[in-house]
Amino acid sequence: MSGSKPDILWSPHHADRYVICDSELSLYRIGAVGTSEAKAGALPLSQETAATLLAINSDTPYMKCVAWYPKHEPECLLAVGQANGRVVLTSLGQSHNSKCKELVGKEFVPKHARQCNTLAWNPVDSNWLAAGLDKHRADFSVLIWDISSKYSPEAVPAEKLRLSGDADSGMVVTKPLYELGQNDACLSLCWLPRDHQKLLLAGMHRNLAIFDLRNTSQKTFVNTKAIQGVTVDPYFPDRVASFFEGQVAIWDLRRFEKPVFTLTEQPKPLTKVAWCPTRMGLLATLTRDSNVIRLYDMQHAPTPIGDETEPTIIERGVQPCSESVISSFAWHPSTQNRMVVVSPNRAMCDFTVFERISLAWSSTTSLMWACGRHLYECTEESGEGGAAEKDIATKMRERAQSRYGHDTVQLWRNHLLAGGNDPHLRSLWYTLESLMQQYTEDLEQRQQGNKQSLIYAGIKNIVKSSSGTTETRRCWKGSDRPTDVAQYHSEERSLALQLCGWISRGPEIDVEPFLRSLEQEGEWERAASVALFNLDIRRAIQILNKGASAEKGDLNLNVVAMALSGYTDEKSSLWREMCSSLRLQLKKPYLCVMFAFLTSEPGSYDAVLYESRVAVRDRVAFACMFLNDNQLPRYIDKLTNDMKEAGNLEGVLLTGLTKDGVDLMESYVDRTGDVQTASFCMLRGSTAEVVKDPRVQCWIENYRNLLDAWRFWHKRAEFDIHRSKLDPSSKPLAQVFVSCNFCGKSISFSCSAMPHQGRGFSQYGVSGSPTKSKVTSCPGCRKPLPRCALCLMNMGTPVSSCPGKSDEKVDLPRDKKLAQFNNWFTWCHNCRHGGHAGHMLSWFRDHSECPVSACTCKCMQLDTTGKLQPSDYV
Amino acid sequence: MDLHILAHRLRVTSISKSGLQNYTHPLIKLIFLRNRTRCKFFSLTETPENYTVVLDEEGFKELHPSEHLQVECSTWLPLNVVSNGNASSSSQAVGVTKIAKSVIAPLAEQHVSVFMLSTYQTDFILVREKDLSVVIHTLAEEFSIFREEDGESVPVHSQDACNGLERNGKEAHHSTVHPVMIPQNQFCVMSLDPDTLPGIATTLIDVLFYSNSCKDDAPAADDLECIKFFSFSLIDGYVSLVMDTEAQRQFPADLLFTSSSGELWRMVRIGGQPLGFDECGIVAQISQPLADSDISAYYISTFSFDHALVPEEDIVSVTDMLQDQRKDAGC
Repeated sequence: MSGSKPDILWSPHHADRYVICDSELSLYRIGAVGTSEAKAGALPLSQETAATLLAINSDTPYMKCVAWYPKHEPECLLAVGQANGRVVLTSLGQSHNSKCKELVGKEFVPKHARQCNTLAWNPVDSNWLAAGLDKHRADFSVLIWDISSKYSPEAVPAEKLRLSGDADSGMVVTKPLYELGQNDACLSLCWLPRDHQKLLLAGMHRNLAIFDLRNTSQKTFVNTKAIQGVTVDPYFPDRVASFFEGQVAIWDLRRFEKPVFTLTEQPKPLTKVAWCPTRMGLLATLTRDSNVIRLYDMQHAPTPIGDETEPTIIERGVQPCSESVISSFAWHPSTQNRMVVVSPNRAMCDFTVFERISLAWSSTTSLMWACGRHLYECTEESGEGGAAEKDIATKMRERAQSRYGHDTVQLWRNHLLAGGNDPHLRSLWYTLESLMQQYTEDLEQRQQGNKQSLIYAGIKNIVKSSSGTTETRRCWKGSDRPTDVAQYHSEERSLALQLCGWISRGPEIDVEPFLRSLEQEGEWERAASVALFNLDIRRAIQILNKGASAEKGDLNLNVVAMALSGYTDEKSSLWREMCSSLRLQLKKPYLCVMFAFLTSEPGSYDAVLYESRVAVRDRVAFACMFLNDNQLPRYIDKLTNDMKEAGNLEGVLLTGLTKDGVDLMESYVDRTGDVQTASFCMLRGSTAEVVKDPRVQCWIENYRNLLDAWRFWHKRAEFDIHRSKLDPSSKPLAQVFVSCNFCGKSISFSCSAMPHQGRGFSQYGVSGSPTKSKVTSCPGCRKPLPRCALCLMNMGTPVSSCPGKSDEKVDLPRDKKLAQFNNWFTWCHNCRHGGHAGHMLSWFRDHSECPVSACTCKCMQLDTTGKLQPSDYV
Repeated sequence: MDLHILAHRLRVTSISKSGLQNYTHPLIKLIFLRNRTRCKFFSLTETPENYTVVLDEEGFKELHPSEHLQVECSTWLPLNVVSNGNASSSSQAVGVTKIAKSVIAPLAEQHVSVFMLSTYQTDFILVREKDLSVVIHTLAEEFSIFREEDGESVPVHSQDACNGLERNGKEAHHSTVHPVMIPQNQFCVMSLDPDTLPGIATTLIDVLFYSNSCKDDAPAADDLECIKFFSFSLIDGYVSLVMDTEAQRQFPADLLFTSSSGELWRMVRIGGQPLGFDECGIVAQISQPLADSDISAYYISTFSFDHALVPEEDIVSVTDMLQDQRKDAGC
């Protein structure tokens, strides 16, 4: 203050008013820009708010400090501390308020004049006003005035007043209620909110002292340099901040001997330190000639118990009005994190400190973030109407629940388990199905001592090894007109056609069953084109007619059939010319490729081969029939690479479950994140090279982690079982053994192959086979096994009753399994007590302590995962 | 009660009246240009004989040696008694009186020479640095002693100090009772917001440096009755002024702070001839009887003489008391 540095003060009760004080007091009202209240004279404070000057008071010169009366009534009453130590009550824009009138102008005069450094109203007894003064050799530095007190009882001799200025003794109070702090200066003070009779003073002699007004001779005090700007955290009445030059000290009044911690020192001296009144543990500090307000977030910093722990404080700086230097700032009393800052030239700025945003993903698809006091949740739209595709995590979750990937007999059914609406998955599982059939067949062949196996190799590898291709020129079926179309045959090509699903196993090439199945599914165009590619125009036309006459059939198919029937192989016919130009306008890809085939030159079928809307398997089958030994591998290579790049699962037909297949799957996972499909698919690629690929292992581990995160523990277990069946090397080794107390030998040798991955609360099967279930003594030394803490029977005895059995009676084998589990050894790693797993489970359903009577071990609470419930049920 | 040994290291100097013109530049710098100097402790007292300047080593660098500058050769340390917030002090008396029994008398008994400097804000007891161990040892019983270093108050324990009862190697000689003089002028002790110091700069310069020229107008006959005495100190940012009512009239009334009762003080000047710095017990001689009768006092030592200020209304009893003391000594 003192003329040059304006300070700012919010009204304690009117959230829209504040006072700027430098050489005079100016009252402003803050409002939204553009409202009727904001007139032309309003000063813009931010993009939304502007301030209007309401009143100016320049009655009190030599202002040193100002404090706003804390109660509602009288409003706008201010106490001003002056350079000569007098405290004057004044008001702004309240001329009609009679309540105020009595008080305004009242002066409180110390015995010895010196500067008034600080003022503080008592928060409870609002008549009390504490003034902190500079030191005087014979006087007190803290005077507590009662503003309601009548004028000084002893008449001051008039001539003695000549030094103290005005003679208007009517409004002058000279006798304070309390006097504290002799022979010292008071630089700052505050009332303690816990006890309104207590006052915290900061004196010149480098100490902080707490006085209790009920017994002023006693005080608690501590020596420190940090004696400026003491201020109590409004959210934590024992936490106090004070500063000295560039350093802020945070005190805990309960452990007042030394600061709890000090904040990093600023190069320039501090001018103001203020707790945020609307946000817990947020301290704002300002240094001289700075344009940055530093914020210290002590939210996550509970007062440490020991001396060693250094609490964490998050520090950051805000720059409310870009370049201009800040003279002072004030937090808004009620709006969260809002402050007004004022620059030395009285330019003001309304500013809201933004909270850091913390964000958390749930293991399901929802996302949450917190900003200030608001918590936002973002979840996937679950309604069917949602146009957006479901997130892959949701899909995987649903698929895991529907046992996707677990149908090992009819692989193709897995795409139905996945929902049946993903063409890629459909193609993938059909491919795997045919690959598997091929594989089993191969096994048979191998037993017959046939040539090297090509299992799961994919068409790419199959056609590479193609040899002995024969070229034939067949006639159109049902006519003896020869075609100039060359067809190629070999054993490998037939194998490829089988994998593509066009022909079934066996020596003869017959597409009729395939056509019929397509007809059944209503894929008329596809069936027609397959028929055509097999040079059977008549069959193709027949199929189209059938399609047109079928329920919901497309009558246009008849038109196509008509067009087809006009086929002529004359190179320059009108038919050819029209077909080759008009076919491009056909929307259905299969119709399009039919005419492309008919109109193309022999040996160049690019229009068919590169029609991406046609299924890969059909294009590959077509290529196997019509491309020669040079063209075919080139085409397959190119197509494979395209598929790999796109991550198109149809390409698995080409790559098989080989290294190429992993590459393809990698780009599929990159594109979709579907580690589930990748895991299940690659587990089938039983060659070690594929399963041990680090990428595959990574997908598998991630999928297991996902299942764990969803608490799908049963699904995880099922997956592990599934995995160990397909990849025996993934079987984990036994990690826990039960050894006999007496002889030290393992009592579970008979079932050491039954692993259980360690948890805090370990269980272990005693007996693998029912015949040995009565073993109640160590097989090594014949000493009895320990007793179950609950039934007091020796371990090894079957558990008689199992609570909660009734609702599990549906499935008998499962019931049996559960009963076996109930016999398992279970013990606490901490107290070593235990018993039958079934008994322990039912005990800890209602208890937290160990069942052994003298033992107070909270076994169940030590098990962090024990309390979590799986979210899937077997 | 706490006793603080302040961090300042002080020198006591004197500038002769005739040599003042050689020192006006450093003095003005030390008084008015606080930002230009690192001096934290400055006191200037004008007496009829000379100007006494007490200042810390930073300030002392500004004073260039010359024949007009006399310097006491030792370094002095200021002590300050803090009442430690014991508001229940029964005595209304303030200043030297308050510490007469607890500090002045014990130090006098241990033959420690003290240099007193009272200000509006507090009383400083200056002791020689070499006497510090004796001081600590003597006062440790009565006070918690703190030494201020780099802004921190560090407790000092008497064990740290020398244990031997070093008596300064001097014999006590209580007998010397110095003559006193009681001038007629009334004094006031005041303070000032340091920020408003520029506002009174011209007046202050006038009173400090040109007092002799003004004095010419006054009749010479008054010289016996009134004494020229003006003290200005600027210590740790606090201003203290001691002047007679005549000088006070030259200052604007609303800028100077004083007590609301507007009390006035009379002076007792101790010493017929310059007292020197080695004699001890002088302050005790005066303060002891004042303390006995519970009379407040300021005490300002200068290079040549000591000055005690007592309340106007008590001057008669003080005069009587001092005369009694003189008689006792004479017996």
